[in-house]
Amino acid sequence: MSSLLPVLVNSLLAAGLYATMAYGLAMIYGVMRIINLAHAGVMMLGAYATFTLFTRFHMDPFLSLLVVVPLFYFLGVLVYRAIVRRLPRASAGPSMESLLLLFGLWLVLQNLAYFIWTGETQSILTGYTMKSIEVLGVRVGLPLVFVFAASAASLLFLNLFLRRTYAGRAIRAVTQNRDAAWLSGIDAERVSAAAFGIGTAFAGAAGTLMSTMYAFTPDFGRSFLLKAFCIIVLGGMESFTGVAAGALVLALLENAVSAWTPIPTTFQDAISFTLLVLALVLFPKGLPGLAAGLSRKVTAR
Amino acid sequence: MTDAILAAERVSKRFGGILALSEVSFEVQAGEIFGIIGPNGAGKTTLFGCLVGALKPTSGAIRFLGERIDRLAPYEVVARGVVRTHQIVRPFREMTVRENVAVGAAFGAGRRRGPEADDSVSYILHRTRLEARADVLAGTLTIGELKRLEIARALAAEPSVLCLDEVMGGLNPSEIHDMMDFIRSLKADGTTILIIEHHVHAVVGLSDRILVLNFGEKIAEGPPTAVMKDPAVVTAYLGAEAPVAPGGVP
Amino acid sequence: MTLRIHSRRDTAIAVAALLVLLAAPKIFPRGVVNDLWSVAFAIVLAASWNILGGFAGQVSIGYSAFLGIGAYTTALLSLKGISPWLTLPLAAFLGAAFSVLIGLPTFRLRGPYFTIATIGVSEAVRVLASGVSFTGGSSGLRMPADSYDFVSNYVAIVLLAAAAVGISWVIRGSSLGQALAAVRQDIDAAEAVGIDSTRVKLRAHAISAAMVSIAGGLFAMNFQYIAPGSVFDFRLSLSIVLMPIVGGVGTIAGPILGAIIFSYMQIKLLSSPALRDSYLFIYGGLLMLIMIFEPKGLVGLWMRLRRSVRRAPAAEIAA
Repeated sequence: MSSLLPVLVNSLLAAGLYATMAYGLAMIYGVMRIINLAHAGVMMLGAYATFTLFTRFHMDPFLSLLVVVPLFYFLGVLVYRAIVRRLPRASAGPSMESLLLLFGLWLVLQNLAYFIWTGETQSILTGYTMKSIEVLGVRVGLPLVFVFAASAASLLFLNLFLRRTYAGRAIRAVTQNRDAAWLSGIDAERVSAAAFGIGTAFAGAAGTLMSTMYAFTPDFGRSFLLKAFCIIVLGGMESFTGVAAGALVLALLENAVSAWTPIPTTFQDAISFTLLVLALVLFPKGLPGLAAGLSRKVTAR
Repeated sequence: MTDAILAAERVSKRFGGILALSEVSFEVQAGEIFGIIGPNGAGKTTLFGCLVGALKPTSGAIRFLGERIDRLAPYEVVARGVVRTHQIVRPFREMTVRENVAVGAAFGAGRRRGPEADDSVSYILHRTRLEARADVLAGTLTIGELKRLEIARALAAEPSVLCLDEVMGGLNPSEIHDMMDFIRSLKADGTTILIIEHHVHAVVGLSDRILVLNFGEKIAEGPPTAVMKDPAVVTAYLGAEAPVAPGGVP
Repeated sequence: MTLRIHSRRDTAIAVAALLVLLAAPKIFPRGVVNDLWSVAFAIVLAASWNILGGFAGQVSIGYSAFLGIGAYTTALLSLKGISPWLTLPLAAFLGAAFSVLIGLPTFRLRGPYFTIATIGVSEAVRVLASGVSFTGGSSGLRMPADSYDFVSNYVAIVLLAAAAVGISWVIRGSSLGQALAAVRQDIDAAEAVGIDSTRVKLRAHAISAAMVSIAGGLFAMNFQYIAPGSVFDFRLSLSIVLMPIVGGVGTIAGPILGAIIFSYMQIKLLSSPALRDSYLFIYGGLLMLIMIFEPKGLVGLWMRLRRSVRRAPAAEIAA
C-alpha cells in the first residue's frame, strides 16, 4: 500500500501532540482521581496566550512555551489551592462533584476568553506555518514537525522528572498506591498541588502547540478533550507509558480511516468518540490490561 | 450429586498474578450451620463473592440445589435464595432502617412490595432488635446496629442459604453471645447458614461442620472438634488465635 | 432526607398552579404565554432528566440527543404529510429505543466514566446529524406552514410538564423508585439484595428519554424550524443537567425550581445584550458554587436552613 508510509509518519507526528495533551489529564487523574473537564479550557487559554504573545510581542509560538509553561503551572497550583481543594472529597474513586466543578470552571474560562478575545476565529501565521518538509520521503507541514519535536522534548523532561526527582517519584507513588504513599510520609496536599500544576502546564503547552496548527475560538478544545479521554482510557488511566501507546493508537486509527476509507473528515470526531465509548466498555483497563490479558493467555499452562 | 443445598466444585479464583482460591471443593447440607475459617488473606471473603455471583470463578463450578449458579449475576443468585452480608457493612445510608429492610423484602426471593411487605419488615426488625431505630437514617447507626441491619436486610430477601461474613467483628462478648443465639434461631427456622468468622470459639460453638482455608486452599473439613485438632489447622493458626476448649479462657 | 410533597395542601397548590397555567392564553398577553411555554418546556427536561440523574444518580450530559430525535421525527414525518400530533408517540418510542441502545453498553460504567461516555455519544450523534443529508444537514428543516397552532401546542407542553412531574413523583414512591435510590447509594449492595441494576437504569432512562423526545416534537411544532445546532447542542445538554442540580437533584421540587430559575435567567439574559455574553460565566459559576458549598442545590440549602432554625429553640431551653 503506497499510502502506508504517509499514514505511519503522520500518525507518529500527531501522536506526539496527542500525548502531550493527554498527559496533563492523566497526571491529574492519576494523583487525585479527578477528571478535569477544565482541561479543554486550559488548552484553549494556552492557545490564546500564545496568540497574544505572538501578536503583541511578536514572540514565536514555540519560544512562548518558555512563558506559558511556568505561568500555567503557577495558575494550576493556584486553582488547586483556591478551588479544587475545597471539595468535600470521597476517598475512593472519582467523584461527580469534582467532575461538575471543573466543568463549571471550563465554562467560566470560555466566557473569560470571549470577553478578552471575542468569539472570532483566530490563528497564528508565522513564516513557517505554510512550509513543509520531507520526512522519510513523506511531505509534512513544518509546524507539525516542530510540534512533534517540542512534544517529544517535553515528554522526555516529564519522564526524567518522574524518575529522577523526589517530587516526580512521589507523584508516581501516589498514582500507584495512594494509601501506601500517604503512609510513607508523602505530603498529600503538596503532591496534589504540584500534580495539578503540572497537568495545567501540559495543557497550556498543548494549547500553544495546537495554536501553530489549528485555528481556534473560545469553544476550542472540546473535541481534543474527548480525544484526550479516549487516550487515557486506552492507556489504562494509570500508566504513563500506556498514555503514549494510546496516543499512537488513536493517531493511527484517525489517519488510517481518513486515508483508506471513504468516511469524510467531518465524521472523524465521531470515530474517536465511538472509540472512547467502546474502550470504556470493552477494555476498561485499557491497552495495558489488554496486553496483560493476552500475555496471560499466551503463557497459561 | 448428593442432596447438598450448596456445593463448590474445584473453585479457583485468580486476580492477575494472585491465586486467591485454588481448587476448593465442599458441600453444604440443607439446614446446617457451615463455618469457614482461616487466617487473614486465606480467601474466605473471595469464596463468598464467588458463591453469590459478585465474583466469577476462574475455574470450577458452584451449584445450588444442583443448578449451576457461578455464571449468574448477583441479583439472579439472590432470586434463587442465596444471600450474603458484607464484612464491611454496606447500608443504604440515606434511607431509614425500615426502608433498608424493605428494599431487601421488595427485591429478594420473596418480592414483597407495599403493604404486604410491612408485616414481614416489622417482624424482621423485631427479631434483629432494630425496632426502636426503625425510622432513623441508617447513616446514624452504631456499628453493632449496622451489623444487625445488614443481617436484617439479607433476611428480608428470604434466603434459603444465608452467608454471614464476619458478623461478630467488633462486638463485645455479650453481643457475641446474643448473636450466636440469634444465628441458632435462624437455623431453627430452617435457614442454611454459612458463616465466616475470626472468633474461632464462636464458630466452633455454632457450626455443625467447618471448612478451613489457608492460602486459598482447603486444608480441613469436618465437625469442629475433629477439625480443630487437625495438625495442619493448628500449624496454620500457630501464634494467632489458638483454638480453645469450650468454656476456656482465650 | 427528602422533601416530601404529599400533603393535601401541596396537592391543592399544584392543581391550582396547573389550572392557572392552562388558562394563561386567555388571561395573559402573548409575550407572557411565550415565556410560560419556555418554563414548561424546561420543567419537562429537568424533571425527566432527574429520574435518571437524580433518582438513580447516573449523570448523563447527553440528553439533547433525545430532544433532537423527537424534533427530527416530528419534522421529517410532518413534511411527509402526517399530522404533527400523530408523530409524538413515535418520537417517544424512538427516544426510548435510542436510550436503551446507548444504555446497554454504557450502564456498565460507573459514575464519571458513564458521564464521559454520554458526552461522547451525544457529540457523535450531533456530528452524524449534521453530516447526513436526509436530516437536511447542518441547515436544518422547516415545518409545514399550516401546522402551527400556538394555543394547542402551549396546552400540550403544560400537560407534558405536569405529566413529567407527576410521573417522577409516582416513580419515586414506587418499587422502581426504591430500586433507583438503592442503586444510587450503593450499586453493589443493591445487586446483593436482588436488584437488577442495569434493567432498572434502562427503565428510568427510557421513561425520561421518551418524555424529552415528546418535548422535542413539541419544540419543532412551536418554533417551526430546527437545526442540529439548536436541538443537538451540547450547551442544551448542559442546561438540562444544571437545572435539577441547581434546584436540588433527586427531589421533586428541585427540577421545577431549577427550571423556573433557568428560564427566567435565559429570558433576562437574551434580552439584555450585556448579560447575553456572560451566560457561560453564570452557568459555570453557579455550578462551581453549588458543587463546593451545597451539592444538594437550593432544596438542600433550604433543608439546611430549616434544620438550623429548628436547633435554635432547643439551645435556648438548654441555656
